[in-house]
Amino acid sequence: MSEVQSNPYPFSIVAVAVAFSPRIEAILAESKRLQQLFQSRMIFIHVGDKNIQQEEYLKHLLHRFGLDGESNQLLWEPEGDPVDRILEKCKELNVDLLVAGALEKESLVKYFLGSVARNFARKAKCSLLMLREPGLQSKPVKTIVVEGSDHPKTVKTIETAVYIAKATQANQITIVQESDVSKMALIRSDELSDGEVEEHKEKIFEAEDKRIEDILQCTDCGALKINIERLDGKPGYVISQFARETKADVLLLNSPDTKLNLIDRVFPHDIEFALADLPCDLLIVHPKESNSSED
Amino acid sequence: MNHQQLIDLFLCLGIMLLTGRLLGEFFRKLRMPLVVGELLAGIMLGPTVLGQYYPDVTETIFTTKGTIGLVLSGITSISVVMLLFAAGMEVELSIIRQQGKTALKASFVGLVIPLILGFAAGHEFYRFFGENNADNVLVFSLFMGTAMAISALPIIARTLMDLNLFKTKVGMIIIAAAMLDDLIGWILFSVVLGMMNNTQSWGFLYTLAFTILFALVILTLGRFVINKFLPWAKRKLSWPGGILAISLGFAFLGAAFTERIGIHAIFGAFIVGIAFGDSVHLNEKTRDIINQFITNIFAPLFFVSIGFKINFVENFNLAITLWVLLLAITSKLIGAGLGALWGGLSWRESLAVGFGMNARGAMEIVLGLLALDAGVISEQLFVAIVVMAVLTSVMAGPMLQYLLTGALKVKVNLKELNPLNVND
Repeated sequence: MSEVQSNPYPFSIVAVAVAFSPRIEAILAESKRLQQLFQSRMIFIHVGDKNIQQEEYLKHLLHRFGLDGESNQLLWEPEGDPVDRILEKCKELNVDLLVAGALEKESLVKYFLGSVARNFARKAKCSLLMLREPGLQSKPVKTIVVEGSDHPKTVKTIETAVYIAKATQANQITIVQESDVSKMALIRSDELSDGEVEEHKEKIFEAEDKRIEDILQCTDCGALKINIERLDGKPGYVISQFARETKADVLLLNSPDTKLNLIDRVFPHDIEFALADLPCDLLIVHPKESNSSED
Repeated sequence: MNHQQLIDLFLCLGIMLLTGRLLGEFFRKLRMPLVVGELLAGIMLGPTVLGQYYPDVTETIFTTKGTIGLVLSGITSISVVMLLFAAGMEVELSIIRQQGKTALKASFVGLVIPLILGFAAGHEFYRFFGENNADNVLVFSLFMGTAMAISALPIIARTLMDLNLFKTKVGMIIIAAAMLDDLIGWILFSVVLGMMNNTQSWGFLYTLAFTILFALVILTLGRFVINKFLPWAKRKLSWPGGILAISLGFAFLGAAFTERIGIHAIFGAFIVGIAFGDSVHLNEKTRDIINQFITNIFAPLFFVSIGFKINFVENFNLAITLWVLLLAITSKLIGAGLGALWGGLSWRESLAVGFGMNARGAMEIVLGLLALDAGVISEQLFVAIVVMAVLTSVMAGPMLQYLLTGALKVKVNLKELNPLNVND
């Protein structure tokens, strides 16, 4: 039985990266909704020298959104790299989910240099929710798209998607299996007949279907409608395009196995396709038990 | 070209394609690579067999001389550029990165040991291998190293697929390591050819620096341009047909550019192939169209034409062939095997990685022919390399089957014995 199912609130400690940007109110409004949804303890982290005016303003906002409860915390971290400071704090406080606002698209230079939110995605050792268009008003979550790749982390990612869908009463979840067709072409170049190629494909697809079925059997999906889509193309890119085309509300991906660096942007890691052009809100699921093996 | 020459040329091309295909299919039925049949077709039509009984026919139709020879030489050059473009499309940088340290280790050791052993053998025994010019020893030794280092990706991929191991950890490590070895191997070989044909008298380091610089520019800036260009082309041109002209157009431009700056044309095509193959805008159908066009039309013409150039019986030297075979197999088994072992695989899986990467396939023959044409190697060594390429490719399947299915059985049994695995 998975941790998600045994723990009804997998995101019990949620940290929110706070910056004094025009979207600060929308981020806090979303934080409030997340707190209610996940029954979480909230930690608001800002990096920068303390300033009485800003502190008063932030406290006022937290009060306005009902986030100033005793269980919640407001942390001012001294000047430094905001990404490293916030991630250090998340590790120290055993945060389950980090929330940050993110622009849909960065300029090419900024993308390669790395913005704060995107660098969270590349380095975080906890789950990360990147809010593309945070709003003051609540938007219903109707469609959730989730990665179904053949990776041990996928189990937790799908379970998290099911948990969120139930919590938000979403209409449906689509699990996307990305078939790496370039490898098929590789084999085909060794003169296989159409029939042989189809036979090989069927074998692979059957195994993939079985894997997803096994995950779903072990997950309590209730009456949730779950679609399984098989898409041909580059992993990371096709799921991102699919989420955009189907106007998904949230896309769930596995966290990268290692910290990503500039090379992973030049020769894109799967997750970089979504980061380059966020199709919707992006939740990168990082199972806590994988930290020990990755550190 | 006069009337009779045109007739001879079309006869030649028609018979080359038909016999190549027929014999290729025969060997395919025997679970052997198509290229074996195509090579055999060339041997039968060329001086080795047909030339013994009907020398007039091989002198006028299946020939490397005169106008037909010139046309065939042009087709061969085009084919080589296309084959390298297709080989480049097979290299997927993301797979190499995803497989991480194990693949890097397997690839590194799998490349360095054959390279060193090949280089050392070439350096110490160059006269035995047929190189009589002591001034060419460096280039010859580098060729020997490279020839030992490269692997045949499609054969490896197909073997793994046949064994249902394509998507396993070991399978992907083999694929990633072979891709990386190919990338480095072809860079090295381009440098070797660049040194042979260098009219600008650049040294080894300059040629290497230019080669790496070209690769970096195309794999970064070039890839970016291709990724921007392809969606536009997709909207404006007929698709996927249009991609054939675009991709091959870029391949030839890349080939022309590298040839111009003193690196061999094949390298431009190879690197452009990697940049194209890596694009998110190429789907399976598009890749398939490019592959089918190259592997079914140009590859057979190329491989059949090899038989016209050389008398395989006259140039077969048992001693050279055996030593090349021994060197190729032991260096790859030790190199790739140790690399995989270092990467954390069991000895049995490591040996499987070694045998998987030991398959040299068609690209080894391309490499050999380019070296032969450039005057780097003798005809006897070329024949030995062809034999080695065929034998290592043929032995990969049975050896992988023996080693990996055995290894898997052990795992399955362990799982069955452990009841805790049933429900977790």
